[in-house]
Amino acid sequence: MRARALTRSAALLGASVLVLTGCLAGPAKGPAADVTAKPEYSGTLSILTKFAGDPLERYFEDLATAYERKHPKVHVELIQETDQSIKDKTKTLTASDALPDIYFTWAGNWADNFVRGGRAADLTKVIGPGTRWGRTFSKPSLSAFAHDDHYYGIPLYNNGKFMGYNKSAFDKAGVEVPKTFDDLVAACPALRKAGYEPIAFGNKDGWPALHYLQQLFAHNVPSAVREADYRAKTAKWDDPGYLAALRQFKTIVSTCTDTGRGTNGVLYTSAQEAFARGKAAMYYQEVLEFDSTTSGGILKPKDLGIFPLPAAAGAKGDPKVVEGAPEGYFVNARSPRAALAVDFMKFVTKQSNAKTLSAPPYGQPSTVVGAVTPQTSSKAVHEGITMVNKAPRLAGWLDMVTEPKVSDAWLAGGEALISGSKTPEQVLDSVRQASKSAK
Amino acid sequence: MHTLYRRAAGLAWILPALVLLGVFVYLPLVQNFGYSTLSWDIYSGSQHFVGLDNYRHLFDDPVFWTSFTNNLSYALLSVIFQVFGALLLAALVESIRSTRWQRALRTVYFIPSAISLTVAGLLFYFIYEPNLGLLNHALDAAGLGRFEHSWLGEENTAMTAVIAMSQWQGFGYSTLLFAVAIQRIPSELYEAAAIDGVGPVRRFFRMTLPLVREMTALMTMVTVSGAFQVFNEVMVMTSGGPDNSTQVLGTWLYRNGFVRNDFGYAAAIGTVIFVITLAIAMAQLWITRRRRVEW
Repeated sequence: MRARALTRSAALLGASVLVLTGCLAGPAKGPAADVTAKPEYSGTLSILTKFAGDPLERYFEDLATAYERKHPKVHVELIQETDQSIKDKTKTLTASDALPDIYFTWAGNWADNFVRGGRAADLTKVIGPGTRWGRTFSKPSLSAFAHDDHYYGIPLYNNGKFMGYNKSAFDKAGVEVPKTFDDLVAACPALRKAGYEPIAFGNKDGWPALHYLQQLFAHNVPSAVREADYRAKTAKWDDPGYLAALRQFKTIVSTCTDTGRGTNGVLYTSAQEAFARGKAAMYYQEVLEFDSTTSGGILKPKDLGIFPLPAAAGAKGDPKVVEGAPEGYFVNARSPRAALAVDFMKFVTKQSNAKTLSAPPYGQPSTVVGAVTPQTSSKAVHEGITMVNKAPRLAGWLDMVTEPKVSDAWLAGGEALISGSKTPEQVLDSVRQASKSAK
Repeated sequence: MHTLYRRAAGLAWILPALVLLGVFVYLPLVQNFGYSTLSWDIYSGSQHFVGLDNYRHLFDDPVFWTSFTNNLSYALLSVIFQVFGALLLAALVESIRSTRWQRALRTVYFIPSAISLTVAGLLFYFIYEPNLGLLNHALDAAGLGRFEHSWLGEENTAMTAVIAMSQWQGFGYSTLLFAVAIQRIPSELYEAAAIDGVGPVRRFFRMTLPLVREMTALMTMVTVSGAFQVFNEVMVMTSGGPDNSTQVLGTWLYRNGFVRNDFGYAAAIGTVIFVITLAIAMAQLWITRRRRVEW
């Protein structure tokens, strides 16, 4: 009896070891994608986009239909996700080694992970600055996806963060466009007195606070210091400018929002809605949102003004830095249809399609040179993207440029700062601890 | 030979179920334990064996303990409301003479359970919303404006708000199960007690409660086990925030895997959840086997 039990245990252990050995194996490696080959116009091309929902999802749907009409043997399979869901989807597909032929990426640490892991095809030969296709893009947008002089990403649109304001509300309150941080804070009581919530802000998802923080960090912390802090090996997070920025953020929340300590309970979209319905005078938003903010018909495009979040007088960083980054697509390094994927993306980024992308209702300012003009885009989008292009430097999204554990600590810290459960010093300390554990 | 054939035939019948269980239940369990001993970079696919380091990390991770405490609170409040509260409600409903009213009330209580957790979570998100939410408006209208909160946006109210939604969603189902258990009690027992002059409160404590003990034990175990597997409602309503105050083990697992890229640590949390729920399931089996009531 004991011998039988022993045999059974040994068999179970053996099976477990076999299973474990199987799960310890790395992802299957196929041949590297040949992006320079002549595309074979047949088969299914899969693409993971960040354009789910109205009105954006129609953009890739229309392009897929047009491409299939041009190449009848090609079927374009679209997987369209939202800004929030694409993060999980991409990581799940990466972990299970099932990335589609083309997939969305942010610039910064997010993109670097895919390049470092050999998941993104090297597109230098087809999209490098000297190539025919590469010359159609603005150079900074291409560089955002470059790694060691190799070009991996296809930048689709540019983006930046600005304070949108309701011109009528400012007129009614007798408020000028703020030039300094103190001007901004001083304008809030006057706007409230005129019947508006000075700044609509919803931080239920945590990341909206990071957008404020990153712009304020850019104002208060020298660029070189910030860049060093983004990298796990050199990160210190001890510049006093961080504390100054955290205090400024707290001032904005307590002085300029009606929700104050309860801002964590408000959806980002609810805040956008409050601004679009004319209830709030200001709303910190991305260029990509300008057209949707005015699409409801209450806030007219002529009433939407924008200005960069103003820096405090004497801030130690760079007040001209604009927060933003291009967003784009990678071709799967193991895709058997890499050449077809490149051909499809060339189609997506051709001048006429780039202009369509930049125009309402999409309002996504294309990175293709000449696509964003006063004729093709709304006034606000054109103005915003011009400021992005003129900025001496862009500060990428905080949750995309830092290590995931560090960005998660910032996210929790931003929420704690809003609710008042942590002081700026405690928040910075928790970030330092996260940074230490990420080394 | 005949016996051997019968055994083989029996095995053939259960083989599909065994294969399915093996592939979809036991294999992932073993795999999960394997992953929990790794440091895993999903981008490059590189995996390094780290032994029990991920389990050691659990002890010095304050958010893990916050999550564990939240699960415990969830379990405690769920037992109070979804077991004892539901039992009391079921006894009240079953004591009503009109069967029409009984059916109507059972349906009313059961309806929230028919709503998906995600939908219920969204619904309650809007009830709790600080600016437009029904709850703050109701408090204001009742002259209780000083009690208004950003219910999901403040650390000291968020977890209670999520648990409250969960009780609303789950207590109807428990009530229905208890009602069925009470209906199985022979009515002669109640009639005899009534003739002997036993009042309704005493009948509840001396008769109903002991006779539905098996169902109570089962519901307690199921509720506690469910409380350690909570995920949807927290994800929909708070995503674990603000400042990780509403993290539960399930959401902290998810966050470590899909946000912090630490899949090995996430797998270790998964193993902890498995061990807790397995212990509860075994306790449930043991208790229900020992305390079966026959009449």
